[in-house]
Amino acid sequence: MADQDTIDLVKTIDVDKYKYGFETDIESEYAPIGLSEDIVRFISAKKNEPAWMLEWRLEAYRVWKEMDEPTWAKVSYPKIDFQKIYYYAAPKRSAAPKSLDEIDPKLLETYAKLGIPLKEQEILAGVRKQGEKSQLDEEGNEVAQSRVAVDAVFDSVSVVTTFKDELAKAGVIFCSISEALREHPELVKQYLGSVVPQGDNYYAALNAAVFSDGSFVYVPPGVRCPMELSTYFRMNARNTGQFERTLIIADKGSYVSYLEGCTAPTREESQLHAAVVELVALEDAEIKYSTVQNWYPGDAEGKGGVYNFVTKRGDCRGAHSKISWTQVETGSAITWKYPSCILRGDHSRGEFYSIAISNGRQQVDSGTKMIHLGKNTSSRIISKGIAAGRSDNTYRGLVSAHRKALNARNFTQCDSLLIGDKCGAHTVPYIEAKTSTAQFEHEATTSKISDDQMFYCMSRGLSEEEAVALIVNGFVRDVLQQLPMEFMAETQKLIGISLEGSVG
Amino acid sequence: MSTALQPTAAEQALGVSLPSRRMEDWRWTDLRARINKPYPPQKVQAPARDVERLLAASPFAKIAKARVVFVNGALDEKHSRLSGLNIGPVDAKLKITDPVIALNSTLKAEGVRLKFSETQDQPVEIIHITTDAAPRALAVHNRIEVADGASAFVIETFLGEGDYVLNAVTEIAVGKGAHLDRLKLQDDSSASTHLAQSIYELEEASRLNDVLVLKGSALTRQNGTLAFNGQHAEAKISGAYLLKGKQHCDTALVINHNVPHCTSRELFKCVMDDDARGIFQGKVVVARDAQKTDGKQSSHALLLSERAEFDAKPELEIYADDVVCGHGATAGDLNHDHMFYLKSRGIPEAEAKALLIAAFVGEAFDMVANDELRAALAGLAESWVVNK
Repeated sequence: MADQDTIDLVKTIDVDKYKYGFETDIESEYAPIGLSEDIVRFISAKKNEPAWMLEWRLEAYRVWKEMDEPTWAKVSYPKIDFQKIYYYAAPKRSAAPKSLDEIDPKLLETYAKLGIPLKEQEILAGVRKQGEKSQLDEEGNEVAQSRVAVDAVFDSVSVVTTFKDELAKAGVIFCSISEALREHPELVKQYLGSVVPQGDNYYAALNAAVFSDGSFVYVPPGVRCPMELSTYFRMNARNTGQFERTLIIADKGSYVSYLEGCTAPTREESQLHAAVVELVALEDAEIKYSTVQNWYPGDAEGKGGVYNFVTKRGDCRGAHSKISWTQVETGSAITWKYPSCILRGDHSRGEFYSIAISNGRQQVDSGTKMIHLGKNTSSRIISKGIAAGRSDNTYRGLVSAHRKALNARNFTQCDSLLIGDKCGAHTVPYIEAKTSTAQFEHEATTSKISDDQMFYCMSRGLSEEEAVALIVNGFVRDVLQQLPMEFMAETQKLIGISLEGSVG
Repeated sequence: MSTALQPTAAEQALGVSLPSRRMEDWRWTDLRARINKPYPPQKVQAPARDVERLLAASPFAKIAKARVVFVNGALDEKHSRLSGLNIGPVDAKLKITDPVIALNSTLKAEGVRLKFSETQDQPVEIIHITTDAAPRALAVHNRIEVADGASAFVIETFLGEGDYVLNAVTEIAVGKGAHLDRLKLQDDSSASTHLAQSIYELEEASRLNDVLVLKGSALTRQNGTLAFNGQHAEAKISGAYLLKGKQHCDTALVINHNVPHCTSRELFKCVMDDDARGIFQGKVVVARDAQKTDGKQSSHALLLSERAEFDAKPELEIYADDVVCGHGATAGDLNHDHMFYLKSRGIPEAEAKALLIAAFVGEAFDMVANDELRAALAGLAESWVVNK
């Protein structure tokens, strides 16, 4: 009986209650609608890019024109008309701002509404208290600085990056990618496209041609980045696509933790988001990349919402390097995203922790790829999918060990939880072991919240919603624990909102 | 970009187009590369002594009393022992759902319908013998039917010599409350290509226990589609691979839980040595109203050589919420601790290895509900380990 009630509750979930659905009325500058070589040139010119960058973009555009849209994912959506999208939209301003004061107050208001701590005093009043141990630090060392440096990307442009000077003292470069192109072209030229080449896939090629901004991080050898770096993506303008590109390089022996958050206004028509994230970890370096993706998921009938087609890939290039992806996927009408690790360096390690929650008519096709190339490499995948409403939630992953990847080690666990009988949960793992010294383990389960669990909780006085919340939070706990403190509280709340009705 | 491929000479000879690796189900098996020369369909008369020699080679020769013998794709009544069996012609019409069935139809496969109206205690063996001749393609199509409430044990054995492409479709229909045990041994010639399809239909409260032992052929593709048509039915499909040299074996099973309250179990134990490559693709589909489904699949690979390879794609597609479904897949070499344990107790390395391999595939053989057959299989595995 209890589960019948749960189902009924979930049915009544008001998926229209998207907290970040407001629109900011800001004057924007657009590129002409549609996509052509001229648009690519326009974007490149707007950004004052060097000639080689324009060539690079044009090459990507030409490759993209020859490619077919991928259809293998378990998602369905009306065909995207790539000529009906604005590929560039930027909040209008006279000159580049030098401080927060020069920024359109409406923009700041937007970020305040989103709860993004842009202003320094807000950052100082950060979530983590002095002396508290960071969740990130594996050795349990205290992290002296607990503030977060933020790069905020509004539609196509990075509007502000905080804490730049302080980071510069440590030698860390944290800026928008267009700025990096101007200030550090040699670094960008060396690494851009080295993990995700222009022609990697349909959406990556599109991104390479038209990407407008994004974040750039370079951590020099031996430096432990003194604070969390964070980028906040906001899609505001109508009919625009957001194409940002993030490039993070952790040089020898360095460490960086990076957080990414995303929201978009509520709109009837769908919006396209095709981002590319490239991570490069050199010898002994470690990158921790966390995402809380909360793009507008569309209304209860599946109208509107963001199409999230993202290519994320990390390259453990040096020996003993480590890349860890943690993602919480609650938004987007369609999610098509497979953060991957190429374990090239000997003894390198890749991790993937994921919570994917789908409700309403959302479609999620997400997972990871762990490509073992070096010797003694290891990887770990923990994926928790929760499907409710009429959604479809697919885990798709690949674990492969190359012939020379001696002693590759992988552990994979993907669990799915179904709430209601109108949703679907699917698991499509690929396992390729090309050497006998590889040890691969893969486990997957699909179940619902059991009556026993509900009965147990409710007999101890919890309401039904509280019981479901407790069980779901327990279900995803392995992944939650991987999130930086700053995101953990937010995520728990987000899970509540995403499953509203059943979680309260 | 055009996706159409020019038909090869091999395809023209067969009269069908072969699946390319661009097809998701064939991503790991390149049939176009394997079948790279014409295998014209041909009827070949076989000398009786060849047939008898191969028949005697069946490890189950002394176990099964009744047997149905096919020689080069045609029923050989002289060598069969058909008394007490209900045998009729098979309905050749098959719904073409994949390239293996398409080839079977094109090659105009012959075969029988073997019907069990009441419980048959003794195993019945269907033996497919292929004798050495010019490279050719041949096909068989059989149907095993177990009537409501009846039970039966059927062994299908494939033995052969020479270079050929064998296509075998087996339809299996288990009636209400009926029970079928099947054991398939594929020990075709090492130069051959074995393409098989099993189509299972399970009615209410029926039980199926199928064990596939795949050790022959240069390339094996074993497809299977199972449909639960009635509630409370139970299906177990197990498999063992014993592969060496450059052998390639790919199993693709789809279990369709169309109705509630059914149970399915898949257990595959795959041993690969040298440059062999084993593949397991399993898919469990649970339809919207197939509540209370219990589906589990597991595939385990033992790689004995650094060059051996195992690929797996254990897939779940679930639309009902009140289900218990899971899968597990592992790949690795012999457990070093286990080896150390045995060696420290004075067991020589080769013997220790043989013991561990036997124990590994033994889990699949244990599913066979017949002591004599289990012993025969254990012997088969032992000689495989010794002669490798």
